[in-house]
Amino acid sequence: MQNELRQTCRRLLEEGTVQVVIGYGDGTDGQTFPTFVTRRDDVERLVWNERCYTNLATYLTRPEILALGKAAICVKACDERALVVLEKESQIDRSQLVVIGLACSTDGVKQPKCEACENRTPRWANVTIGDAAGETAKTTADRYAALQAFMQKTPDERMAYWKTELARCVKCYACRQVCPLCYCRQCIADKNRPVVISTSATLKGSFAWQITRAFHLGGRCIGCDECTRVCPAGIDLRLLNLSLARAAEENFNFRAGVDVEAEPIVGAYSERDREEFIR
Amino acid sequence: MSETITRGALLQRVSVWIGGGKSVIGPRQVKPANGSGQEVPVQYGRVASAEELLLSGDTRPANSLKEFFFPRHEKLYGYQFKGRQIELTDTEQPSTEQIIVGGRPCDAAALPVLDHLFNWDYRDETFNRRRELTTIVTIACRSFDSHCFCTSVGSSPVDARGSDVLLLAVDAERYEVRFVTEKGRRLLNGATTTANENATEPAAPPKRFEMEQLKEFLAGGYERPEWKTTTLRCLGCGACAYTCPTCHCFDIVDEGNAAGGLRARNWDACQFGLFTLHASGHNPRHNQAERQRQRIHHKFQIYPDKFGETLCTGCGNCTRNCPVGLGVLSVVEAIAAAPRENQSQK
Ligand code: SF4
Ligand code: SF4
Ligand code: SF4
Ligand code: SF4
Ligand code: SF4
Repeated sequence: MQNELRQTCRRLLEEGTVQVVIGYGDGTDGQTFPTFVTRRDDVERLVWNERCYTNLATYLTRPEILALGKAAICVKACDERALVVLEKESQIDRSQLVVIGLACSTDGVKQPKCEACENRTPRWANVTIGDAAGETAKTTADRYAALQAFMQKTPDERMAYWKTELARCVKCYACRQVCPLCYCRQCIADKNRPVVISTSATLKGSFAWQITRAFHLGGRCIGCDECTRVCPAGIDLRLLNLSLARAAEENFNFRAGVDVEAEPIVGAYSERDREEFIR
Repeated sequence: MSETITRGALLQRVSVWIGGGKSVIGPRQVKPANGSGQEVPVQYGRVASAEELLLSGDTRPANSLKEFFFPRHEKLYGYQFKGRQIELTDTEQPSTEQIIVGGRPCDAAALPVLDHLFNWDYRDETFNRRRELTTIVTIACRSFDSHCFCTSVGSSPVDARGSDVLLLAVDAERYEVRFVTEKGRRLLNGATTTANENATEPAAPPKRFEMEQLKEFLAGGYERPEWKTTTLRCLGCGACAYTCPTCHCFDIVDEGNAAGGLRARNWDACQFGLFTLHASGHNPRHNQAERQRQRIHHKFQIYPDKFGETLCTGCGNCTRNCPVGLGVLSVVEAIAAAPRENQSQK
């Protein structure tokens, strides 16, 4: 599979179809990290294994990477949903991008999200490497299981939980920087003339930051869980994301990134929208 | 002959300190209040009981000790508008005695490095006050991971710099005690016994790069292409700087409303694009490679030139916590090993 991946990338670079391949490279101790291959002989650096965590779609909107030229990008089925949203939001031109789909084996990348994975094979890739034997049909309930368990707690208990958790937030913004959909060149959290969101890593400042982050990703977050994986404080941001995702699904029958035809709920207008909240 | 202390005697002391109102800080498993199954890291934090402390010498907390001296948010003073006057209110100086138990040597070693900065053109009151109020007991690391590189920056798992007492595990129940300062001796006075056994020196991580080669690169390689090629994957977050024991950049902010507010010092980090953004819109470090170059220069050239100390203890936190496995080590390893011949190449 890894060979097939390398050959495909070598061909893409040789033919000049793309100038850079955004993929995974091998690190020390069998860890992998994002790597950018621009020379065909360097395709040997590319790997595909169960430690390929990063959602590489985050690099598609970065000036440093755009400067490298036309790109091919490796995506897993979960990551791929970010491409759908990015295209709907006019951030990428799909015709200028070669998508290399990486089908996950049954275990996926061994992250909590893989337990509820419905579809281990990317659906809209130009080339797909590997095949995901034994795909299991997951239900809506599976996807929201973690949130459902959390919502069994009383509001007071939940508040106490978030106070304990967000007290550890250091405002490193790794959750934002890693997110493929946090592509704003100037984040509202960085606005300082005047300050909109307190930059202090205090409970007040961290609540303001996380509430804003979750809302700005409402109906947009594709659930790749990268924000949660990278948080150095181990805060389960997934619960916030799931809560907004469920609101979008229940109220608008919308799931970000799963339907290439569907118009984004935040960007589209419909006479049938429920607007009670605004009256 | 050496001094030893049993784990039991140490924990007993800890209980007494906690009972006496002292703040005991050490590595502990962070548990979410209502466990949701999310994996949580080991972090340094204030413990409510001695049993919480992880004292095996095998823990690598995700944060560093600096926040107990230089907190991520610190109120400098308050202000109130009184008609046309402004009234300032001082903040209370720290007064709680802190005892750190089970720190890593590389975390403690960062404190004397930071002392230079916080006593340079201005003597920082709260930082120094907290230094005085704190006694540090470290445990020599019994293991290392692939991100540890203390030996590459002139340190080691038994480095006692910055510690008041250094413990070395003899077995699961006993530690050899090395007193480093009088403060440390006073802290454990009466709890140790003299015995005829020494701990075996723990294995040290392999050297990852030669400091000489790194310095050589930094001296002539400002325009080298490696800055860009090695740092392309950097996302520009603060995970490395905020978990680093030596990074110390901060921002001064005012927070308040029409009635008044406070002026505070918040952590800041050089990898954020906003860090050097001018009011005009110009940004002298306009891409991630330039920000990374600044970071490495600051740690291995600027700070050493100014204060005679490397601004890195090789703790590995920056790489361990990096979303994309970069951190300082990967960059420094790559540039130190870069071929010399292109030194002047643009
Ligand atoms: S969630 Fe599914 S597609 Fe994504 S990594 Fe896990 S198994 Fe693969
Ligand atoms: S990654 Fe974690 S610690 Fe950093 S800003 Fe986000 S929530 Fe806070
Ligand atoms: S908010 Fe988190 S889970 Fe959602 S798209 Fe961004 S990184 Fe992925
Ligand atoms: S730069 Fe990295 S290895 Fe060096 S002290 Fe800071 S966190 Fe530790
Ligand atoms: S090196 Fe890693 S932790 Fe540091 S800014 Fe870059 S991505 Fe963030």
